[in-house]
Amino acid sequence: MSKHPLLSEKAGEIQLLLGNEAIVRGALEAGVQMVTCYPGTPSSEVVDTFKRIQAPERYRMEYSINEKVAMEVACGAALGGAMSLVTMKHVGLNVAADPLFTTAYTGLPGGLVVLSADDPGCHSSQNEQDNRGYARIAHLPCFEPAQAKEAYAMTKAAFALARELEQPIMLRTTTRISHVRGPVTFGELPQKTSLVPFQKNPQRFVPLPAVARKRHVAVEEAMEKARLVAEKSPFNIEKNQPTPVEFGIVTSGVARNYLFDALISQGLEDKVDIFELGMTWPLPTERLANFLTRHKNVLVLEEGDAYLEHDLRALAQEKGLNVQISGKDATLTDLGEYSHRLVAKRLARWLGTPEPKEPENLNIQELPNRPPNLCPGCSHRSVYYAARKVFGDSVVYSSDIGCYTLGVVPPMRAADFLFCMGSSISGGSGLAAMGQKVVSFIGDSTFFHSGLTGLANAVFNKHNLLLVILDNGTTAMTGHQPNPGMLQESLGDNCVHLDLEAIVKSFGVTDLQTINAYNVRSLIKAFTEFKDKDGVRVIIAKQPCVLYAKRQLRKVQPNVAVVISQGEETLTCLKELACPAFYRNGDDVAVDPSLCAGCMVCLQIAPKSFKAVKREEVKS
Amino acid sequence: MATDARLRIYFTGVGGQGTLTATNLLAKTALMTGLDVVAGEVHGMAQRGGVVESVLLLGGLRSPKLDLNEADLLLGFEPLETLRGLPYLAPNGVVISSSNQLPPLSVSLGAANYPDLETIKANVNKVARKAFFLPARELGVQAGSIQSGNTVLIACACACGILPFDIETLKKGINTFLAPKLQPANLKALDLAKEYLQKEYSK
Repeated sequence: MSKHPLLSEKAGEIQLLLGNEAIVRGALEAGVQMVTCYPGTPSSEVVDTFKRIQAPERYRMEYSINEKVAMEVACGAALGGAMSLVTMKHVGLNVAADPLFTTAYTGLPGGLVVLSADDPGCHSSQNEQDNRGYARIAHLPCFEPAQAKEAYAMTKAAFALARELEQPIMLRTTTRISHVRGPVTFGELPQKTSLVPFQKNPQRFVPLPAVARKRHVAVEEAMEKARLVAEKSPFNIEKNQPTPVEFGIVTSGVARNYLFDALISQGLEDKVDIFELGMTWPLPTERLANFLTRHKNVLVLEEGDAYLEHDLRALAQEKGLNVQISGKDATLTDLGEYSHRLVAKRLARWLGTPEPKEPENLNIQELPNRPPNLCPGCSHRSVYYAARKVFGDSVVYSSDIGCYTLGVVPPMRAADFLFCMGSSISGGSGLAAMGQKVVSFIGDSTFFHSGLTGLANAVFNKHNLLLVILDNGTTAMTGHQPNPGMLQESLGDNCVHLDLEAIVKSFGVTDLQTINAYNVRSLIKAFTEFKDKDGVRVIIAKQPCVLYAKRQLRKVQPNVAVVISQGEETLTCLKELACPAFYRNGDDVAVDPSLCAGCMVCLQIAPKSFKAVKREEVKS
Repeated sequence: MATDARLRIYFTGVGGQGTLTATNLLAKTALMTGLDVVAGEVHGMAQRGGVVESVLLLGGLRSPKLDLNEADLLLGFEPLETLRGLPYLAPNGVVISSSNQLPPLSVSLGAANYPDLETIKANVNKVARKAFFLPARELGVQAGSIQSGNTVLIACACACGILPFDIETLKKGINTFLAPKLQPANLKALDLAKEYLQKEYSK
């Protein structure tokens, strides 16, 4: 096998890299020795790239069970002297926060970098929390790249600082950094890095209250050292006009890009001084105070919450500075993403210059939407169909995080609420305790992530819950990453398969059935049997993710469904199953053989309407 | 036309079509010619049959999120998505679109109507300086793979002079950046695009 391009030893080589790939190269050049993660958009390409590179001589990596575990494994490795990287999406850091706060106290000699990939605009997330807040409350020096080349350079710098200070460092990206490509110029790729030898030191590493109080002092000292680094950091750049100007802008993250374009498009490049922050915590307060002193008006541009703005207001107050600080307003709010035009508009209002033209309204007719949907042949569809047949709207459907959240889309409407990973079980338990009938759906990877504890709790506390584990044998939504439920032959030699059924049984669940998720009759029978029972009942609905089966397992069903007779039954199936492979052909229903995955669920529902035909015999 | 200017290109299509691969090929080709390149994409949930958009900025622009009325070139991999994306086109921008439809589920199930191609073209022609509609999927199939239909569209962009490099450069890009087994179909798609433009748009 040829060597992955990211392992190129040619310093000076330029490659077009995704922000997330740039992080990988930066980590490799820093000499990363341990990588852990739980996948989540927009962070997943970092570890997926580490997996693809396959350089076990350089680093060990794992897809951990969840972010807390990933954090703890990475912290342990960093304690053991390894330069360690742990990656996750923003909400993942909520799960991982517990170990992180305390390891900031103890410190980690090997050096730990925590990637938090935030998702302003909720492209694929349940909230748009701004994790710069964690840097502040957990005492983490923080780097925020705005371009791929910075993602590369800052990752390297973050590792160097992590090892120097022995403190965990946060690398914070957003979707438009992680998923934006740009040219990156490579540096030297080192040979193997050595471990910092582990030395027992309970007075540091066992945070009993007496120790923790002392370590709190130590972390404050480390943060002061980090501030001195920030004062001199090449990532904190001032761009001042040759002669003094009244207006100054302080900005960080992706907002820097929008500002760059807005200054050009509005012809304002020579009107303002700019302070761009790349190392954004702790703040270089001396330099910032100096910047505030030199300007009558300062505008803060930061996507997300107004952290920087509030810090600068506090700094101005503390130093008694007479400066007018502006930030969030009706144009640039703390909601969603910024853009070039929004920033241009805000600049114009602040400077009193002409505002950019509003976009023209084209008055285009209302168009049919294209919402994401469960794939043709998705094994969740048949489960939702069966559940709806048995329960209709008589229960509350407690959903969870994964492709199957799309069960919310009509006609399935199999999602009534959702909090976070694992909440289908524990949130469902609480709701059921208030007298609702609850059917919970959770995927296999999410079950291992944070369903195990919820299920143990449900059994322990005698909750009433019908739980369906949608076992498609992979982590589908984020790109088919391994999880313990995956088949041993797919996992390879480095992981061990865990048996879902055995686990559920071992928790003391006696009402348990494992069913082929394509088998509608068995599903309906099981739902009906469990319907009026009390206690915790579990159905494991098994069937590989159809994309995973095709791409990784190389399994394609030999037959496709064709319509053999039109009528009421066919139309009802179209309406109730709503498989994306169906289409209307005038008054008739037809199946697109290029989309049909051959699950044959429609044949079971409408046996008079469909039949199976060999794939080769049907023309696309 | 001036080819050294800053250029914003907006790509829109349907999950699974390969729009991101096409964006990446064009971005790498642009970088090869020494242009400053930023290419943005959104992954995740959108890929399950939803709309997939990406952006390519050439010549030193940085904003990875496009605003309405900003795209100098709109590359639509599916005609309905071309129409949906049309508000992103800058006044006097250029549109290159596939004319082969992929009806969304609501249309397949008979719950909504797909606007007819002539309506889409009329809307596009109202605002675009130039517009090209090519049966990209059909030409792709003819060239040897549906996915190579995407190359039909980017080849058209190179051929019509809006990009700061020509179709020969794209050919070099295909030979450099695509896996060897994908190259023949994509090179063929490029030729089919040229032929189609010659036949339909040479006046």
